Amino acid sequence: MPKNIMITDDALFMRVMLKTILVGAGYSVSHEAGNGEEALNLYREHKPDLVLMDITMPVMDGLTAVKEIKKEFPDCNIVMCTALGQKNTVVEAIRSGAKDFIVKPFQAERVIESVQKIIGAP
Amino acid sequence: MKVEYVNPFVSSGHKILEMILQEKPGRDKLTALPTVFTSDQLNITVGVTGAIQGTVIYGMSLVTADKVASVMIGQPIKTFDQLAASAIAELCNMISGNALMLLSEAGLVCDIAPPTLIRGSNTNISTMDIPAVVIPFVISQGEFKITVGLKERHVAEE
Repeated sequence: MPKNIMITDDALFMRVMLKTILVGAGYSVSHEAGNGEEALNLYREHKPDLVLMDITMPVMDGLTAVKEIKKEFPDCNIVMCTALGQKNTVVEAIRSGAKDFIVKPFQAERVIESVQKIIGAP
Repeated sequence: MKVEYVNPFVSSGHKILEMILQEKPGRDKLTALPTVFTSDQLNITVGVTGAIQGTVIYGMSLVTADKVASVMIGQPIKTFDQLAASAIAELCNMISGNALMLLSEAGLVCDIAPPTLIRGSNTNISTMDIPAVVIPFVISQGEFKITVGLKERHVAEE
């Protein structure tokens, strides 16, 4: 069974791009969330091996979602997806328990490297 | 409008367009406008609040939007659908985000609102009394314009 990853981003384009990269590398994208609240609910239900988490989203932002997921599931693996210029938020997310971050526009190699470092090969 | 409000969008436009399209964009001369008006077929507006406030509009033809979205998606798009719109909006978000980082490094800390996509020619988008500067980028997919209409936020407006 390939390892399961959940993508959280309010932009359809980003979800599609990340899914293409991850599936191409052999991972399974089990779920997609459009905001932090959806991600929290889906995490509770499915407990994916890793979550890719955007920062700026409606309803519940990525930073809040990291804190909420981490509170309930201290062992969760979360990688932040950040735009240039969100350094302070990324630092806070890492302090809150996120394990790494990737910067938009995404480079496929960097996405795979980050995921592999945390959950290993597919 | 102060040049320090425009320059971050010039350098961010160059940087992000080059990263996304894998080619160096060219640029025409900057144009000053008394207010924002756009004759482009597709406009993406992004509101800016904080130390400076106003609107930034990304404008292009539908043909250019189709071609840029095709590059971003990695395959030709048949119609300008939700995915293509999301790709273009995300491109504008990346340029805005990078420009805001440069503004914050200069001590002007701002936030951006989610982008709004407007289709239709001869759209008149008024920024009231905020003058605008148009930054026209020339890319192989066509013309990609960034119209920056920003001004200082005065304490009295808070």
